[in-house]
Amino acid sequence: MRLSAQQEALERYLTTGDTVIPPELLEQIQGSNTLPAADGLMIYQNAYRVRLLSVMREDFPALHRWMGDESFAQLAMAYISTWPSRNFSLRWLGEKLPEFIRGYIAEPQRSPMIELATLEWAFTLAFDAPDAVPLSLGVMSRFSADDWVNLRVYLTPSVRWLQLQYNTVGMWVAAKAEADIPAVVTLSAPLDCLVWRHELVCQYRTLEPDEASALRLLSDGGSFASMCENLVGQHGEQAPLRAATWLKQWVGEGLLQRR
Amino acid sequence: MSKSDSLGFGLGLRSEYYQQILEQRPAVDWFEIISENYMVGGGKALYFLDAIKEQYPLVMHGVSLSIGGSHEIDADYLRQLKNLADRVQPRWVADHLCWSRGSAHQLHDLLPLPFTQKSLLHVASRVRLVQDVLQRPLVLENVSAYVQWKTSCMSESQFLAELSSLTGCELLLDVNNVYVSSKNQGFDPWQFIMELPQDRIRQIHLAGHSDYGHYLIDTHDQPIADPVWALYSKTLSYLGATATLIERDDHFPPFDELLAELSKARSISANALRAAAPCA
Repeated sequence: MRLSAQQEALERYLTTGDTVIPPELLEQIQGSNTLPAADGLMIYQNAYRVRLLSVMREDFPALHRWMGDESFAQLAMAYISTWPSRNFSLRWLGEKLPEFIRGYIAEPQRSPMIELATLEWAFTLAFDAPDAVPLSLGVMSRFSADDWVNLRVYLTPSVRWLQLQYNTVGMWVAAKAEADIPAVVTLSAPLDCLVWRHELVCQYRTLEPDEASALRLLSDGGSFASMCENLVGQHGEQAPLRAATWLKQWVGEGLLQRR
Repeated sequence: MSKSDSLGFGLGLRSEYYQQILEQRPAVDWFEIISENYMVGGGKALYFLDAIKEQYPLVMHGVSLSIGGSHEIDADYLRQLKNLADRVQPRWVADHLCWSRGSAHQLHDLLPLPFTQKSLLHVASRVRLVQDVLQRPLVLENVSAYVQWKTSCMSESQFLAELSSLTGCELLLDVNNVYVSSKNQGFDPWQFIMELPQDRIRQIHLAGHSDYGHYLIDTHDQPIADPVWALYSKTLSYLGATATLIERDDHFPPFDELLAELSKARSISANALRAAAPCA
């Protein structure tokens, strides 16, 4: 048997999870008195399953806690057989889980599960997203009048912007605190939520609609002046103060970098 | 390669200990990183990597090269490995004599090869390719195995010796892996070590395993077992001073416990070298 055929036979056995070892594989394998061939192969098969499940549990701890160990394992193994690891790093294993849930789970669980999985994956993405030099309050304190006029920003690369339909943040917080996870509640309006990394630590917070609109405008390339103008309708003459307060907060949180 | 290249006694760099290493500057001669953990865009891992490399010599140790795989070497992986080596400037770059990537899956395990002439030539051509990209000798480690291929016509150690002779690659002797495989497959661990070319062994690994009665599993989540210490001592009498590293990948103890294990390695090494030295 060629090397590629030998490796494909072992690959099939490890990844299908069959309890019966195919004879064409077993006849290629040499065991010993202490560890027969079938037992040795089962060690590899078990290790494959345990390793991948462990990564899924680490990457989706809240979903795991919400579903319970058995249901989560069932979901994870079904997912892995549909979306097997193709990246050399296990860090990417869970990337398609929200997409998989869409086709695997029925409503009413489907949508809240997708949202929780998406939130958890956002933390994974933020954790090791490319570094950036965020705009700092120190730099801003030295801004000239022209700097203020010309100021244009992006969100820093680690920022993930989610729109939530459910009390997903509350469920995630409860899971993190190892508390009872609250029942799913549909929110009266979609809630903007940011997940990002600041000074090496992952952060999250939700935004009120007016703050979300202002941040969206600014991070899409709008000027500080246009952001102020946009706020006049709701905040009147307080608009510049409101805009300045938010900008200071966003900069302090490491959310923005200069274009 | 000369024995004067020995780096001394090192530990596997794990995120659990980053802060302590930077704050306390422990008496560790060098650290070994898992290469794949640093092939990321940014964040904590790269921050600490850059900070720790200012204080300690580093060695890169990968798990995903799949040097024995029957599919093409993953070009993207190799590019990232080279980029990381350029950033880290490690003393050497190691991986395992195994395969880990199949036709449709990354298997994330260190799977054994059939030790045949044909696979020797196959692996040798891949080692040369990797060495050309990295512009340095690759260091390859023996793995813990739970089965062998019936088509094998030589031992893993004979295969490693031949491979080193054909390609100039160097060897990482994992003493725990030798012990685990010897128990599982019923061979003499000392004969395994004697079959390796002494002058090509760049580094030694020590780690713990789990004992399941009639077989052992290489778990890296336990202290090093006494028979492995004994084999290490005998190995050093044979090899002379050799860079030694302790790996721990789970059930992380307080850092002081790892330092105590490292002190034990230093002491065993000193005794073995003293006993092996010719009388004045």
